[in-house]
Amino acid sequence: MPTIEKESLIGKRVPKMDAPEKAAGRTRYVHDMNLPGQLIGKILRTDRIHAKILSMDTSAAEALPGVKAVITAKDMPAKMLGLNNDNPPLKGDKVRAERDEIAAVAAITEEIALEALKLIKVEYEDLPTLFDPRESEKEGAPHIQESKDSNVCMEFEYEHGDAAKAETEADFVIEDTFKLHYVTHACMGVSGVIADFDNITGNLTLHSNTQVPFLHKREFSEVLEMDPSRIRIIQPPIGGGFGSKLDIYPFEPIAVILAKKSRCPVKIVFTREEEFMASPTRQPAYINLRSGVKKDGTITSRVFDSLLDNGAYTSWGATIPFVMMQTASSFYRVTDCQYATKAVYTNNPTAGSFRGYGNLQATFAIEQHMDKMAEAVGMDPLEFRLKNAQEAGEVTGQGMHFKTCGFKECLSTAGEKSDFSRKFAENNANRGNGNPVKKGIGMASMLHVGGGAKIYPSDGCGTILKMDDFGHVTILTGASEIGQGSETVLSQLVCEELGVPLSAVTVVNNDTDITPWDVGVHASRTTFIGGNAAIGAAKLAKAKVLESASQVSNIPADQLDMRGGCIVRADDGEVIMQLGKLLRGMHFKDKAELVTTSFYYEPPSVHQDKGFKGDVSAAYAWATHVVEVEVDTETGIVTLDKVTAAHDVGRVLNEMSLEGQIEGGIIMGQGYALTEDLLVKEGRVITPNFRDYKMVTAPEIPEIDLSFIETQDGEGPQGAKGVGEAPSICMAAAVGNAIYNATGVRIYEAPYTPEKVYRALKGAVEAPSMAAE
Amino acid sequence: MSEIQNYETPNSVSEAADILAKGDVTILAGGTDLMVQVDAGRVEYKSTLMNIRRVEGLRGISDEGDHLRVGALTTITDLLESDLIAEHGTILTEAADAFASVQIRNAGTIGGNISNASPAGDTLVPLVVLNAEVELASKPNGSIVTRTIPIKDYFTGPGKTKKEDSELLVAVIIPKPAAGFVSTFDKFGSRPALDISTVSVGLGGVLKDGALTDVRVAFGAVAPVPLKATATEAATEGKKLDEATIDAIAATAKDEVNPIDDVRATAWYRKEMIESSMKKVLRHVSK
Repeated sequence: MPTIEKESLIGKRVPKMDAPEKAAGRTRYVHDMNLPGQLIGKILRTDRIHAKILSMDTSAAEALPGVKAVITAKDMPAKMLGLNNDNPPLKGDKVRAERDEIAAVAAITEEIALEALKLIKVEYEDLPTLFDPRESEKEGAPHIQESKDSNVCMEFEYEHGDAAKAETEADFVIEDTFKLHYVTHACMGVSGVIADFDNITGNLTLHSNTQVPFLHKREFSEVLEMDPSRIRIIQPPIGGGFGSKLDIYPFEPIAVILAKKSRCPVKIVFTREEEFMASPTRQPAYINLRSGVKKDGTITSRVFDSLLDNGAYTSWGATIPFVMMQTASSFYRVTDCQYATKAVYTNNPTAGSFRGYGNLQATFAIEQHMDKMAEAVGMDPLEFRLKNAQEAGEVTGQGMHFKTCGFKECLSTAGEKSDFSRKFAENNANRGNGNPVKKGIGMASMLHVGGGAKIYPSDGCGTILKMDDFGHVTILTGASEIGQGSETVLSQLVCEELGVPLSAVTVVNNDTDITPWDVGVHASRTTFIGGNAAIGAAKLAKAKVLESASQVSNIPADQLDMRGGCIVRADDGEVIMQLGKLLRGMHFKDKAELVTTSFYYEPPSVHQDKGFKGDVSAAYAWATHVVEVEVDTETGIVTLDKVTAAHDVGRVLNEMSLEGQIEGGIIMGQGYALTEDLLVKEGRVITPNFRDYKMVTAPEIPEIDLSFIETQDGEGPQGAKGVGEAPSICMAAAVGNAIYNATGVRIYEAPYTPEKVYRALKGAVEAPSMAAE
Repeated sequence: MSEIQNYETPNSVSEAADILAKGDVTILAGGTDLMVQVDAGRVEYKSTLMNIRRVEGLRGISDEGDHLRVGALTTITDLLESDLIAEHGTILTEAADAFASVQIRNAGTIGGNISNASPAGDTLVPLVVLNAEVELASKPNGSIVTRTIPIKDYFTGPGKTKKEDSELLVAVIIPKPAAGFVSTFDKFGSRPALDISTVSVGLGGVLKDGALTDVRVAFGAVAPVPLKATATEAATEGKKLDEATIDAIAATAKDEVNPIDDVRATAWYRKEMIESSMKKVLRHVSK
C-alpha cells in the first residue's frame, strides 16, 4: 500500500485565498452591487457647525420627479446611536458638527437625489462653538450635548502602587506634554450599505461593510426598534476596515428608513469627501507624562494624564483609554503608576476606533520618554529598555499575566540587526558637523493584546464545520474577513488537523443567518480566537472520522491519522482508505451520520474589575522597531530610509500574510508619523481629499527588515498570537526618537511634517500644554 | 451637475475654432485637472464639451531653427522623453520629471497645464525662465487668426489667463537659448511623488567664469500667478556666485515674494523655502 508523509501548511508562504480575484479586479464590493429596483440614497449634511434647527422644509424635494422618499428626524425612531446614546441618526433639534445628517433622500438616480437635497430649506440659529478640548471643562464653555451634565463624555482613572511616594525616590523626574493629531483610516473602499426589506415578510437584509456583524445586528434592532431575528447582515468583501467599521453610523439606519419608506432597496455609498469628513478619526490627544527614574536606570514611577478630543458624538472608540492604560501600567516594569484619561465633547469631527486603539498615542509619549530617561541617566536607549523590559511570567500591577513574552528578544534582535547602539552614538557625535542633512536612528517598542480582549460579555467565536461525501470541508465561522487574511489562516489551521489540501476547504464567514456568533474583528483577535474555534471544530470532526475509520479498519483510532485526503496508519503513513470513501460510508450506512461539528471558543481571559485590574487578554504581543531617518535641516523634510522590526508573533502561521500585515502596518504608522494630517479648521475638515491628505506613496516606503520572534504561546492556535494592530503602533515614537538623535531637537507634537520639523529646528515651536491658552 | 448638451471632437484647429466661435465651450484635453475639478464641484461643464485630442498637428515638439515649437497636446511624458527639450530647456525636462505621477504625466498635456493656470503648475515656472510664448488661434471672421503672448504676461490670476473664450491654445514657442545657457528647477513639496508644489524655483542664465548673465528667475506657488522675479534676477546678474553672494541673492528672493498661508504651508515657511531653494539652484548651476 502507498504511504503519505505528514505535510504541514503552518509557517508556509501561502497566498491569500482571495488574492487572485482581487488582483484580477473581480472582487465585487458593495459599491459594485446593485439590487433590482434599488434606489440611491443621499444625505443632507448641515452647513453649520453648532446650531439650533428652527425649521426644515422638504416639500420641494418631495415633489421632484424621481424622488421616492425624503426623511428627516421625524421619520426616525427616537433612538440614539453610540456608546453614550448621544448620536441621533438624523438630527432634528440641533446640529453639533460639520458631518451632521439632517435629512436624506432616496431617488431613482444619484443626480436626482443630489438635486433634491438642494431643494431642502433649513433655518438655523447659530450657537457658540467649542473647538479646543482644553476649553471643554471651563466655566461658560458651550454645552455640546444638552442631555449630559458636562462636556466630559468618558473618564478613566487607575492606579497601582503609590506613584507620588515612588517619585520621591527618583533621582530624575521628567515631565512633558505630547500632542497627537487627527488622522483617518482613508480606506480605499468608502463607507457603503444596501438596505433591503422583503416586502412580504418584513425581514431586513443589510449588505454592510461592518467589522462586527453580530453586535451590529443587536444594535440595529435597538436603533430601529425591530425584532433582531428579522435582521440579516451580509458582508460583501470590504475595501479596508482598520477599526472604522466597528460602530453603527447614521448612514446605516438612514438607508434602512429610506428603504422602509420607499419600499425599495436603498444603497448609500459615500463620496471620498464624505468619507474624509464623516467617517471617524483617531482621537487627537494631549498627554502629560511624568516619569521618575533612578541613576541606575530603574523606573520608579509613571504618572500619565491625558485629554482626548471626542468630537460631538461618542463611538466605541471612546474606550481607547483601556488600552492606553495598559501601556502606561504594564509595558515596562513600573511598580507605581497613576493614570487618568478624559475624553471631552467638542464641535470637531467625531473620533472612533482605529488600528492600535489609543496605543499609538500612549506609545508616542511613553517611548519618547524612555529615550529622555535613558539620556538623563546616561544609558544607551536599548540598554535602558532591556533593563526595564517585561519578561515571561510577570504579572503586572494591573494584573496582566505575560505567560509568554518576547520583549527582550525583540529589543535585542532589532537592536543588533540595525547596529543600533553604534549608529546612535555615531549620529550623536555627528550632529555638529556642517552637513545640512543629518542621519538619525530611533527605537520604540510596543505592547498590545494578542489574544483577544475581554471587553464585551463574551470574547468568543463560534465555528461550524461540515465535511461532505467527497472529503470537502466547509468552515462556517463568525470571524469576518476584512482583508487581514483570516480565511486563509483559518483554512490552514483546519487543514493541519484534517490532513486535507487547502483546495478542499471553503470558508463561509459573511452572513449572520448562517454563521455562528463572533464578537467582531477588533483587538487583533481573529487569528487567535477564530483560529482556536476552527481548531476546536476540526478536532471534533477528526475524532468522529477516526472513530468511524477505526470501526471499518479494526485499527484503534489513536493509531490512525488523516493525511493527504486519506485515512492513514499514524506510525508509518500507510494509506488505509480515502477520506471521501469513509465519509460516504458513514453517510449511507444503516445508522447514517454526517460529519458536522461545532465549537465555541472563549479565551481564558477575565473581565477587569472596577479598578481596571485583571488579565484582559489570553496573550500579549510585543514588538520593537528601529527606524533610520535623514533630516534635511534646510527644509525640515524627514526621509525614512529603513525600518528594522522584530515582532513576538507567538508562531508564524503564514509567513507571506504575516509579512503583508506587518509591512502594511509599518507604512500606516509611517503615515501617522510623517505625512497624514487631517487638518480641521473651526470644526471643518480642510483636507478632505488625497491631494491634501497625504498617504505614504510607493517611493516613500522604506527598506523593511523583519524578524519574527516565536515564543510559542500555549493558548494560541498552533502557538500564534494576534498581530493585526501591532506594527502601526510604535512608528511615530521611533521616528520622534530618530529625529532627536539626528538633530538634538525633541518635537513633542506629531506628525513630523516638513514645516513643523523646520520650525522646531529654528526654535520656533512652543511645547504643547494641557492648559488652554 | 451641469448638463453637457453637445460633445464635439474636431479634427483640425479650424474645426475647433468654429466650435469655439459659437461660444459656451469647455475644452477637454488630458482631463487630469478638468475632470477632477468638475467632480469636486469647483468647475461646471459648459453646454458644449469639446475634446481636442483628435485635432491634428497639436502634439509633438519640432525644431524650427531659432525656436522649438511644442504643440498644446504634447504630454508631460513627451516633454520628459524629448531630446530637443533636454538640449534646449533642461529646466523643462526636470519639471516634467517632478510632475505628479507617471499616469498623470501620460495623460496631462502642456496646453492643459498652462490653461489650468495654477500658480503651482509645474511647467509654468520653467516656461517663464525659457521666455516662452503661447500661440492662440481663433476664427473671428471665418478665417484663422493667431496671436502670441509672452508667458510671463499670460496669467492674470489663479485659473485665469489672457486667452479669450473663442481662442484655442495651439502651441508653446520656446526660443533656443544662447550657447552656455544653464537652467534648473527645484520643486519643493513634502513628498517625492504626487505632490503639489509648496514652492518651486526656476533659474536660467548664461554661465561664464562662475557668473550668470541674461539671468531669469521665476517662482511658483508664492503669488496668484507664476512670478517672474525681477529683483532676484537683478541681484544675480553678472555676479560671481560665491557662497556670500548666493546667500545675499537668496535673501533678496525671500524678500521678493509675498505668499499666503494655505493647507500646504504657511507664508512664513514658503518664504523660508524660497530662500533655501534659491540657494540650492544657485549652487547647482554654479558647480
